[in-house]
Amino acid sequence: MTLALVVLLPFLGAIVAPLFAQAGRTAIAIASSLPPIVALAALYPHWSTLAAGGVLVQTHEWLPAIGLSLSFRLDGLSLLFALLILVIGVLIILYARYYLKKHENVGKFYSLLLLFMGSMLGIVLSSNLLLMLIFWELTSVVSFLLISFWNYKQDARRGARMALAVTGGGGLALLAGVLLLGQIVGSYELDDVLAAADTIKASSLYPVALTLVLLGAFTKSAQFPFHFWLPHAMQAPTPVSAYLHSATMVKAGIFLMARLYPALAGTELWFYMVSFTGMATLLIGAYTALFKHDLKGLLAHSTVSHLGLITLLFGMGTKLAAIAAVFHVINHATFKASLFMAAGIIDHETGTRDMRRINGLWQFMPHTATLAMVAAASMAGVPLLNGFLSKEMFFAESLNLNLPGIWAYLPPVVATLAGVFAVAYSARFIHDVFFNGKPVDLPIYPPHEPPRYMKIPVEILVFACVMVGVFPTFAIGPLLYAAAEATLAGPVPEYHLTIVHGFNLPLLMSFLAFFLGLLMYTQRQRFFDFHARFREIDEKAVFEAAVSRVVEWARRFIEVLENGSLQRYVLLLLLATLAVTIVPITSLGFNVGSLGISPIDLPTTVGSLILIGCALGAAAMHRERLYALILLSVVGLMVALTFARFSAPDLAMTQLSVEVVTIVLLMLALYYLPSWTPREASLFRRWRDAIIALVAGSGMFLITLAMLTRPLDSISRYFLENSVEGGGGSNVVNVILVDFRGFDTLGEITVLAIAALGIYAMLRETKLTAPPTDGQGHPWSTDAHPTILKQISRPLLPLALMVSAFIFLRGHNMPGGGFIAGLITAVAIILQYIASGMTWSHQRMPFNLQTPVALGLFIATATGLASFAFGYPFLTSTFSHIHWPVVGDFELASAMAFDIGVYLTVVGATLMILASLGRLTNQSEVKPGAY
Amino acid sequence: MIAIALKITIVMVSLAVALNVYRLVKGPDAPDRILALDSLSINAIALILLLGISINSRLYIESALLIAVMGFIGTVALAKYLKRGSVIE
Amino acid sequence: MNPILEAVIAVLMVSGGAFTLAGAIGLARLQDFYSRLHAPTKATTVGVGSITLSSMIYFMATTGALALNEGLIMVFLFLTAPISANMLAKAAMHLRVQQAENTKGQAWDQ
Repeated sequence: MTLALVVLLPFLGAIVAPLFAQAGRTAIAIASSLPPIVALAALYPHWSTLAAGGVLVQTHEWLPAIGLSLSFRLDGLSLLFALLILVIGVLIILYARYYLKKHENVGKFYSLLLLFMGSMLGIVLSSNLLLMLIFWELTSVVSFLLISFWNYKQDARRGARMALAVTGGGGLALLAGVLLLGQIVGSYELDDVLAAADTIKASSLYPVALTLVLLGAFTKSAQFPFHFWLPHAMQAPTPVSAYLHSATMVKAGIFLMARLYPALAGTELWFYMVSFTGMATLLIGAYTALFKHDLKGLLAHSTVSHLGLITLLFGMGTKLAAIAAVFHVINHATFKASLFMAAGIIDHETGTRDMRRINGLWQFMPHTATLAMVAAASMAGVPLLNGFLSKEMFFAESLNLNLPGIWAYLPPVVATLAGVFAVAYSARFIHDVFFNGKPVDLPIYPPHEPPRYMKIPVEILVFACVMVGVFPTFAIGPLLYAAAEATLAGPVPEYHLTIVHGFNLPLLMSFLAFFLGLLMYTQRQRFFDFHARFREIDEKAVFEAAVSRVVEWARRFIEVLENGSLQRYVLLLLLATLAVTIVPITSLGFNVGSLGISPIDLPTTVGSLILIGCALGAAAMHRERLYALILLSVVGLMVALTFARFSAPDLAMTQLSVEVVTIVLLMLALYYLPSWTPREASLFRRWRDAIIALVAGSGMFLITLAMLTRPLDSISRYFLENSVEGGGGSNVVNVILVDFRGFDTLGEITVLAIAALGIYAMLRETKLTAPPTDGQGHPWSTDAHPTILKQISRPLLPLALMVSAFIFLRGHNMPGGGFIAGLITAVAIILQYIASGMTWSHQRMPFNLQTPVALGLFIATATGLASFAFGYPFLTSTFSHIHWPVVGDFELASAMAFDIGVYLTVVGATLMILASLGRLTNQSEVKPGAY
Repeated sequence: MIAIALKITIVMVSLAVALNVYRLVKGPDAPDRILALDSLSINAIALILLLGISINSRLYIESALLIAVMGFIGTVALAKYLKRGSVIE
Repeated sequence: MNPILEAVIAVLMVSGGAFTLAGAIGLARLQDFYSRLHAPTKATTVGVGSITLSSMIYFMATTGALALNEGLIMVFLFLTAPISANMLAKAAMHLRVQQAENTKGQAWDQ
């Protein structure tokens, strides 16, 4: 339970924290820091188990049918990442308290930050790959919101969109990759996947699965060629950058590689794909970082480069390299988070991040400068700092690769070259910002030290850098060992965390990088000039252009396919169906099954002839609208009779009620349309369409014939057998609607309610001019409400309501139910609308029409929820019999309450739709707010 | 006896239905068609009742009742549409 | 079943069918709308009413319980048939539907 709780805590915090927004930034910062602190405390007791090499897995079933379970896993690797996420998270919360300005929406900020924290924890603690994917996507979405936190800035919005597009696209690839892995292994549980390493690597799907998974990891971790989103995500507030780009978001991809390392690594394919991607990223990031004048831009590209370094280490495939990679994850997180925070402080205090203007800050903020310089030195890999240790390991490993021939020189040369650049840009960060003359034209002058507490997170992180750098075994040894053990999923080779391993080649490489880097920095102007010769590519513009191009293609494609002509859609649909079914149908032929054809009788023959004739007539006469409408009514009536003839009374009743509502609805619309339309389609088109329709109809006939003449063993047997026992009703149709498939019904009435509200909202302000005469030029009668009709309709209302109540009550056992009863009630009220007008009717209704809709949905949902109270799943029904004198035995099932909900929704929605349409012209007659 | 009567009646009502449809198609004016539709639905009541008697089942009585209600409302709405254009106002 | 009851049911049923058919023939054959209006609204209503009655008696005889539904159908039928006829007649008058020469009276002149 604890692990699920650890993941859940930040999510709870995200809900609770904004409530403190009114109480000021300090209050909300304290409230937000509680979840991570409690989570840390909850993780602490497990340390002893993990240090002994144990693994904690907690599984709760969720959707076993698709292999998705709520299982969480705590081992060394996930603990390491969880600690980074939580500890740096707390520090960021404290830092953001001083970074954000008073007027900013701190509630939203902290809520999103905690959401992000929870999603990241979910990724690292999930023991089920599908569950991890859910959290993975959550981080993409929440990071989008965080990057665009200042959503009034166009750059922020664009950067966020780019990040979402790249990481979201990678997420899709990852989804496919994980599904393939699950297919190969037969389970999505991490234990099973890791245990099946050999099966996976031997599988023919391995290259595809690996590529897809790596695509997910590379996009998330900003690897070349997907690295471009990261620098543009720097439009985020600095605490977000510090959090997302040091310890969390971009490390998710790294985490994925580490997590699946035992299952996927160790093949040639892995080696080439991962190490070369890492190498390219390492070099490109380091090179670009040197030329960025924006402080955060430099850090962003340096992050890209360091992520490439870690990826390269994983790609090498040796155990020591993997350990070095995990180690560098820790080190990079600490120094990069502190550097981002320092950059944020500088930005905060000077008002700019342009290094050409920020100079000589040492004399204004010596304290911050010292911290930033130590962190930057660690980034450069200066001895006695943590960055040095992992970089040494990296250099050592780059020499150990057994590449053929001259290629063996490539990794060490790339590593050294990247080291040179790293030293150069770190030197620039130190020298250009804190020394190098006087500041130029600062927006805020003179800058001074930030608030005391703003520096505390930086101090803690820098202290960690030094501690790890000087006393590595003491400071990080056990945790690193546990993480390495979990990453390798096997024995850990011997490695030494000492400051100097003696004078060897890696140390020489370090020195070389150091001096060449400093040299490069002193000669930087030449490099700047050289770099300036190349045209700067604005990835954002390229990306935006690509996006708008895709949108344009999509628009054109849709225009071709979807031009608004309904006939065309039907044509395409029929043609597609025909293309798929024509072969099986022709081979099926005129196929009469074992049951044979039932005998025909006179009424059925007459009825079906009328049905066919009127359907054809409605199509042929469609240009004379009223005639077509009347023919349609006949079709509806005949269909209802067919339902009755073939034993479907519920359907017959529903059809009859829907029929009249449809006819009234069509008449309301026809009122505004011309009563006659000209012939629009060419002769060729009409014949073509007729032939296609004929072919499609014949196909349907052949299928139906073959189906109905055979005994069919369908799911209906189950419903018939269980309806009385399980649902307490003998009307299977109604029991299915309100009980077996109650969830569907709930969804359907929700849709109905939304549709009704939508129509109401759209037509509320619409006013149409009524046509002055009908199609033949007769002026409209002035007698709106004929007296005889009015006088007879009124007594009919209670009569119809009685019928409706009767049909509702017996619905569970006999044909009927809430839906039909609702339609009858609605139609009875529509009769009053027709006879006496809407104003008259609404004056006599003590509620507006939204009320029954809302009440109905509420009752239906509440009935479903009530079964939770008795410990049953959603919408479980219970029932008992009561005897009602005269009327007979009635079922009193909980499903009946649900049916009341259906009833009310149907009444309200139907009336609301028709009333909205009816009100279009007679705005003045209806009092505002009358319904 | 009832069985024979049933057969005769069903044939008569079926014929009546066919004649109604004849008038509905022939028209010539909209009121004629609506009138034919109205009597068609009343005949449908008869058909359903006869069906119920012939299979000795009361399952369909409510359908017949509904046709009585819905048919009337449909006719009234159509008639009002002819006269007034706006059905609900 | 009681043979008298059986006979009553059969007679009601057949006469109902006959009235219905008569109404339909009238609808099909009479000359203009105003004459045609009478056939189904009167004859058919009686005919279907009679069939409804036969159904009512039949089920009351076979099940022994009250057949309320048929009663309701009859109430609806007899209440609404005149109204539909009235509404249709008014609509036809409003539209000035042509009348045959030998149809007497000019309703809309009054």
